[in-house]
Amino acid sequence: MGDRSTAWLLCEFAQIEYTRALSLQRDIAAAKHRGRIEEDLLLMLEHPPVFTLGRRGGRENLTVSEAFLSERDIPVVQIERGGNITYHGPGQLVLYPIVSLARRKLSVTGFVEALESVMIRIAADFGVSAVRDARNRGVWVKDAKLGSIGINIRHGVAFHGLALNVNTDLAPFSWIRPCGLSDVFITSLAAETGAATVAMEKARQAARSHFEAVFGVRLEAIEPAALERML
Amino acid sequence: MKEISELNLPEDVRYAEDHEWVRIEGDKARIGISDYAQDQLGDIVFVELPEVGSKLSKGDEFGTVESVKAVSELYMPVGGEVVSVNNGLEDAPEKVNNAPYTDGWMIEISPDDPSEAGSLLDRAAYLKMLEGQ
Repeated sequence: MGDRSTAWLLCEFAQIEYTRALSLQRDIAAAKHRGRIEEDLLLMLEHPPVFTLGRRGGRENLTVSEAFLSERDIPVVQIERGGNITYHGPGQLVLYPIVSLARRKLSVTGFVEALESVMIRIAADFGVSAVRDARNRGVWVKDAKLGSIGINIRHGVAFHGLALNVNTDLAPFSWIRPCGLSDVFITSLAAETGAATVAMEKARQAARSHFEAVFGVRLEAIEPAALERML
Repeated sequence: MKEISELNLPEDVRYAEDHEWVRIEGDKARIGISDYAQDQLGDIVFVELPEVGSKLSKGDEFGTVESVKAVSELYMPVGGEVVSVNNGLEDAPEKVNNAPYTDGWMIEISPDDPSEAGSLLDRAAYLKMLEGQ
């Protein structure tokens, strides 16, 4: 897609609150629309436990009471991305690319497929064979979902992105019908490899290099504080 | 994805930079999204439209389209009051892909200022913008 002469800014967080990452993404998308930020960006992070609902809801796909969740201190957040209910939590690698699609000559479908490719390649590095399903987006290992995609586009700038289960605690997924589909099992790289621990740092390293290869760009690290100053 | 030369860009509508179109029909104006926009989005699975009677200004969000796990926001190319919405898109959102300027129209408004559409892009200017991206 490119000769890697294009640089994207990469901002990594160990763990960041869902709502804080959301307002950061919205601010970046708005700054890109206004022309204050030229570069495309990639946020790489993990979230503390949270359930999020897509544009078309998904609260009906929560199979436990909200009281059950508040006892465990897990918030439910309604957001604007595509897709239905999902869970984010520690051990899940989240990538939020904030991209001017037209300038990259990327269609929405092409962008979603590129995100799937990134996840498939990361999984392959761990010896896990994941595939896409054009009817049910995301990446799958047999009947189990390994990684999800949900994006939002404002004035041609895409944000939100992908979530890949590395060594996520899978129990919270049993409290929902993920993506609004019944009979969907969720898996992780740790569950597939049977390894007691799958190193998140190795997954992050794989994500950096496969993202660069799939999008044909170079990632240049920027500290969160420096990113905030650009907004 | 279509090549720019393959796009259907009628002369009888005006285009906004965010790829909505507007067609003045008497004292009303119809609004939808361009062939370029539908092609970029891919298969549209859901269209969310405003309530009839909503008063919206130019640039306000009037709805969303959802395709392949992507929700895209739609913006008013001109301001006005929504007088009807295309309910047919509820069961057949693919009309936006198949016939973006006819069966796939989205909303009809009573424009605040009918001359506002004149400030939007004509076919030639819109084409130039697409080529310059």
